[in-house]
Amino acid sequence: MNFVTPEIAWAPLLPIMIVLGAAAVGVLVESFVKSPHLRRVTQLWLSGAALIVAGVAIVAQWMALDGSAGTEVMATKITVDGQSLVWQLMLVIFGFLSVLLFASRTSAGEESFTALGSVPPGSVEEKLARRAGLKVTEVFPLALFAVGGMMLFTCITDLIFLFVALELFSLPLYILVALARRRRLLSQEAALKYFLLGAFSSAFYLFGAALIYGATTQTDMASIGIAVNVIGDKDGILLTGAVMVLVGLMFKIGAAPFHSWVPDVYQGSPTPVTAFMGAATKAAATAALVRVMYLAFAPLEWELSWMFWAVAIVSMAVGTVLALVQTDIKRMLAYSAVAHAGFILVAFAGLEQQAISALPFYLLTYGLATIGAFAIITQVRERSAEGGAGAEAVRLGQWAGLAKRSPALATAMALFLLSFAGIPLTAGFIGKFEVFSAAVAGGGWPLVLIAVIASAVAAFFYVRLIVLMFFTDIPEGAEDTVVVEQEPLSRTVIYVTAAATLILGIVPAGVLTVMEDAAVFLVSGS
Amino acid sequence: MVNEVLFWIVAVMTVIPSLSLLFAKRPVHIAMSIVTVMVGLAAAYVGLGAPFLGVVQIVVYTGAVMMMFLFVLMLVGVDSTEDLKETIKGQKWIAFAGSIGLAILLIAVIGKVTVQPRNEGPVGDPYPIAIQLFEDYVLVMEVLGFLLITSAVGALVLTHVPRLKPRRAQVDVAKARVLAGADPVNKPMPGVYARHNALDIPALDPEGKPIEHSVSRVLKIRSQTQDGAEFRAQLEDPGHPGNVAESKDGDDK
Amino acid sequence: MNPMNYVILAAILFSIGSAAVLLRRNAIVAFMGVELMLNAANLALVAFSKIYGHLDGQIMAFFVMVVAAAEVVVGLAIIITVFRARQTISLDEPAELKG
Repeated sequence: MNFVTPEIAWAPLLPIMIVLGAAAVGVLVESFVKSPHLRRVTQLWLSGAALIVAGVAIVAQWMALDGSAGTEVMATKITVDGQSLVWQLMLVIFGFLSVLLFASRTSAGEESFTALGSVPPGSVEEKLARRAGLKVTEVFPLALFAVGGMMLFTCITDLIFLFVALELFSLPLYILVALARRRRLLSQEAALKYFLLGAFSSAFYLFGAALIYGATTQTDMASIGIAVNVIGDKDGILLTGAVMVLVGLMFKIGAAPFHSWVPDVYQGSPTPVTAFMGAATKAAATAALVRVMYLAFAPLEWELSWMFWAVAIVSMAVGTVLALVQTDIKRMLAYSAVAHAGFILVAFAGLEQQAISALPFYLLTYGLATIGAFAIITQVRERSAEGGAGAEAVRLGQWAGLAKRSPALATAMALFLLSFAGIPLTAGFIGKFEVFSAAVAGGGWPLVLIAVIASAVAAFFYVRLIVLMFFTDIPEGAEDTVVVEQEPLSRTVIYVTAAATLILGIVPAGVLTVMEDAAVFLVSGS
Repeated sequence: MVNEVLFWIVAVMTVIPSLSLLFAKRPVHIAMSIVTVMVGLAAAYVGLGAPFLGVVQIVVYTGAVMMMFLFVLMLVGVDSTEDLKETIKGQKWIAFAGSIGLAILLIAVIGKVTVQPRNEGPVGDPYPIAIQLFEDYVLVMEVLGFLLITSAVGALVLTHVPRLKPRRAQVDVAKARVLAGADPVNKPMPGVYARHNALDIPALDPEGKPIEHSVSRVLKIRSQTQDGAEFRAQLEDPGHPGNVAESKDGDDK
Repeated sequence: MNPMNYVILAAILFSIGSAAVLLRRNAIVAFMGVELMLNAANLALVAFSKIYGHLDGQIMAFFVMVVAAAEVVVGLAIIITVFRARQTISLDEPAELKG
């Protein structure tokens, strides 16, 4: 038995290597640059530059594809095809916008992250750390690790490798969630909950993968797809395994009934992390779900469709109904995220080819609006005792009359909310239209009907917030309680995402064509 | 083929201790039972033709992971018994029912499978494992590297407390004491400079005034001290026998 | 005897682990339940690997062990942080988060 050097086509992995490499360099920066301020600047530039270069590399690869489906980087393990390039570019964009949010500070110089994650909230040590000007700049490399893991997640074609990538992007997120500056007890509790439920669901995923391996002797998706047809009496464990794998992925998407972490984690995390998680985790998990469904479980479409239908309906119902009764804006958007998970799953009805181009577009529009909306939440703050900006104003009542305080922010927020609701001339409408027409083409019209009703109900609470911002006066005596920040980095993110939401809503043709070009899988051969 | 006796030993050795997860009260007992489960699984791996994995299981799980669990249990207090009373009514039974349902489902679908195991096959010795690991799975290995960096960084971010106050050496401590007006050296002993060296008499300073804090606090609280007035009176009375004796001694010189 | 029995054993252990996660209020005990679930998956992988006569299952189990070790580090770090702040790791303490 001799060692044969494996054949790996490294070039298509360049974007992922840049991101993960920059993350590793970022960890070194942590130990060699002593001054917290300098470290923050270095990390911001390093991660920003790495993500831009990775984005350019992805675009260059897309150009170089020129009609070919892509490259098989390593047989049965990783394939970089047009589909995965689109998802990777999306994740890099989300990552870049989130990194800008990570670095933004209030006018009082307060960051979203705690000065020191290891000391108890409210303790003397915390005050000392704050006074010493300490900063948890590790958040930048951690975010890069998460982005790199998610990018890998979109191009892996092997279930066990997928498990490793799942953990690679989950672990940094568990840590990031625990680092909020304000209300850190809540943040730590959210991290514990996210961690336990995340580990629980990945254990389900793993046992499912083991059962599939037992049924088909394979773990790479294309071979599973072929083996499914010739498995004899093992269809029981195959199906059970497939359901368990899907549970693991749907947990990451945040679909009900696997959503119990979503509201707490969205509320407890530092808002930039919420933005990143809401946009990027959903995109990455959907990308993997698409690949798993189309490559491995396509022959099981009929057997698994009940699960997609049930989960989609429950998610839409739970998300919409519970979002109606929320008074905290982050929790409201969290339940709206659950409802959106339901809309995403609607596209899987019938496993139409059309869905492969509809889903990236939907996730792009949803992610941009999510990052934009949470960026606005970081800008609307309570007035602290000293008169500066204090904690984020997350109670809905505090948003009353926001249009008078800052017309620009209120307009942008209204745009994002309309996009969530799927009102024409916003990107969300095109996204929903694409997803629903894919489902109708696949015979899922009852599901689409429910989805449309859910959208209509959901529009109610989005519009309620718009009315609150524009047509409600600032309550008597509350004129001074809310401050609107003018942070340049957050403002950039807000304006960029708002412009993108509008442009994608009015002239979506260019991006849609790209998505359609990308709707091809390079099936790894075996 | 697989040894039947080994299977039953492993089954008993893993299932019974693992039930402690559900019924035992003390987390330390649970951790120790899980250690037993891990050892049982290692035996199973060796029996299933995976000796390398069996050894890794012992090293990683019983040696590292479970010891870390125990360590953290010690840190957060071993005595913390858990309140098994349920907060959401009926949750316990739903959880039980769900898990039993899961077990029945899994056993049913697995039991339906009839496979003829291949009798011969490679044994998972380190060498063949290493070959395959670095041939087919080398990319996974590299990604695992990043995973380990992440976990190390994460653990540091969440638990490492850097020095927040300047380090205080012995010199600094002494200086601070002097600045605060405390005694730079030992407290004066009671009764040392007085005519009487009992513990309940305050010492006298060079001016002859009593140093009140030289007497133990305990005695003061118990009102067992003397204020020294009696002895001062002696000092001031020239006719006192003690004084006379002293002056005589002085004359003798 | 057929190695399939080991897969059944794995299913039982997996169910016990999942019951522990759902039932126990102590974060560390719940986490040990997760570990048991991962180990059950490993046992299934190794048993299938024996049945089919190739090493892939064993290598996957090896990866799972590494991943689990990394996960334990992060998980216990989170648990310690929560304990430092609240002096308890019960998942039921009057929580700031509402369900």
